[in-house]
Amino acid sequence: MFRTAVHPGLWEHKGKVAAVGVGHQGTARRWDGTAENSVGAWSIAACRKAIADAGVNPADIDGLVLDTTTTTGAHWPAGREIPMDVVAKFNQTDDPLDGIAKLSGEWIVKNMPELTNVKYIMTGPGCMSACIVVAAQAIGDGLCHTSLVLKSWHNLDGRYYQGGANAEPTISGPAKWTNPWAGPASLGTATQFQRYMYKYGKSHDLMAPFMQNSRHNGLLFPEGYWAQHRPEELPAEDYINARWVAKPANLFDNDIPIMASAAYLFTTAERARDLKQKPVYILNHASDNLKARGFGGFPTLEECETACENVGTRLFEGAGLKPDDLSFENMYDGFSLFHVFHLEGLRSHGIGKGDALDAFKGDISINGPFPISPSGGNVGSGRTRFWKHTDCIQQIQGRAGARQMKLPANVGVSGGPMPTGGNFTVWGSSPD
Amino acid sequence: MELSGGRFLISFDIDGTLELGDPPGRITTEMVKRARDLGFLVGSCSDRSATSQKAIWERMNMEADFISLKHMLDDVKQRFDMHRYLHIGDRDLDQMFAEQAGFDFLWEHEAYTEPWLDWLNGAGGPIAGQP
Ligand SMILES: [Mg+2]
Repeated sequence: MFRTAVHPGLWEHKGKVAAVGVGHQGTARRWDGTAENSVGAWSIAACRKAIADAGVNPADIDGLVLDTTTTTGAHWPAGREIPMDVVAKFNQTDDPLDGIAKLSGEWIVKNMPELTNVKYIMTGPGCMSACIVVAAQAIGDGLCHTSLVLKSWHNLDGRYYQGGANAEPTISGPAKWTNPWAGPASLGTATQFQRYMYKYGKSHDLMAPFMQNSRHNGLLFPEGYWAQHRPEELPAEDYINARWVAKPANLFDNDIPIMASAAYLFTTAERARDLKQKPVYILNHASDNLKARGFGGFPTLEECETACENVGTRLFEGAGLKPDDLSFENMYDGFSLFHVFHLEGLRSHGIGKGDALDAFKGDISINGPFPISPSGGNVGSGRTRFWKHTDCIQQIQGRAGARQMKLPANVGVSGGPMPTGGNFTVWGSSPD
Repeated sequence: MELSGGRFLISFDIDGTLELGDPPGRITTEMVKRARDLGFLVGSCSDRSATSQKAIWERMNMEADFISLKHMLDDVKQRFDMHRYLHIGDRDLDQMFAEQAGFDFLWEHEAYTEPWLDWLNGAGGPIAGQP
């Protein structure tokens, strides 16, 4: 399912799978406790929008790929009462939190009666990036021919990443080997970036143009959190002055947790021809499985760089393309600092190791020669890990609205969520 | 303006503290205006950017006497020579930065009864929530 060999060869399904429809629902900073704004309700809405957008008959859908987890840091607190009035508004599975703080394929099918022919249900663990890879391979392999690809996020009141094991006074269980020094979630990336700055003689403030550009692009994403709720640009001064969360990762380098749902409609290239929107062809997918040698499985900068470089090699070789064939890139940015590693791993448009921060001084906007993160990513629209994928589809379809890049959007790349262990996709306007 | 009992400064956190914060707190715009009208220096001290804090004050239709990042609260103390400094917030970090900067601190849930109004009567004792 996952293409992890360093030289996996041309993808056998290159150009034979296409994304057609896009549906978004949300956003909100936190769940308001109502049934209509539950993660389940928003997931249904996003799926229905994707179906309508593609113009596909729901009865023709035979696949559903989704991530069954809907948070990384807002787990249902032990002992908190489950709102059974909300649960009762939906067709239930045997887990009352299904549709509230998690999401099974069974729950979706039970609550979307129009999906009468779904036979293939599969998990893309942790991220839309994984769901896309799984769905693309499944359709290519003939396990299904038309699939919804769904990723949803809930968020609860209270602080992110402060519950569960993190609320305990001591570390126990397997985490005692991997998290001995505590610290916030961005500690690992901050450590890698510190090493990066030392290695290449750079400074954190050089990130400012990227952050400014990302927020600006995010404000042009009507589905995003900042565009909807806090339409604030991020001037360099605001970014540079922000409090350190884990130096050199500041508040803005850490993405803001939100609620939102996104669904895509994938099908075979052949079926896509008859649908409502222009097909966006999947030219390849690639994943990383590098195992860090260091204590606690904590990757070093050099391991990150190797992983990103391997992913770049895999992506382009498997798509039969060269790095400079990329029209734009939407690699992951939550945490923002590792966008640098992802970007350099692509080795596109002259940006190699140690070059990204200098590249940010140039025109990286949607009007420039090689738009960097035209989606705005998590920096621009909140923590969902899916804006980048939506943007790849919309840019190539010519439906990115105010974010539409000036030059033709022929080939894009997106993926994440980490420099080591992520899943990545090459998208094209042409199947060839 | 010299108040009865001295010159006072109140710093408000935004999210979880002010009613315009996200999540909303119990400190209303009316309370902030009342303090201002009575001669307190009022401003915000938040993890929100300066741009974002300014937008909040515009929504409150007020001009802040100061706007500060949360970790820069000690700069506020250096800028203004006052008899008392108070920060109000809803997180441990608010308490930590307030203590480090030499401010009194009130949790949002202790502050919405406007205990600072007692200062106008020359009440110089500890404010609610302080030892
Ligand atoms: Mg607060």
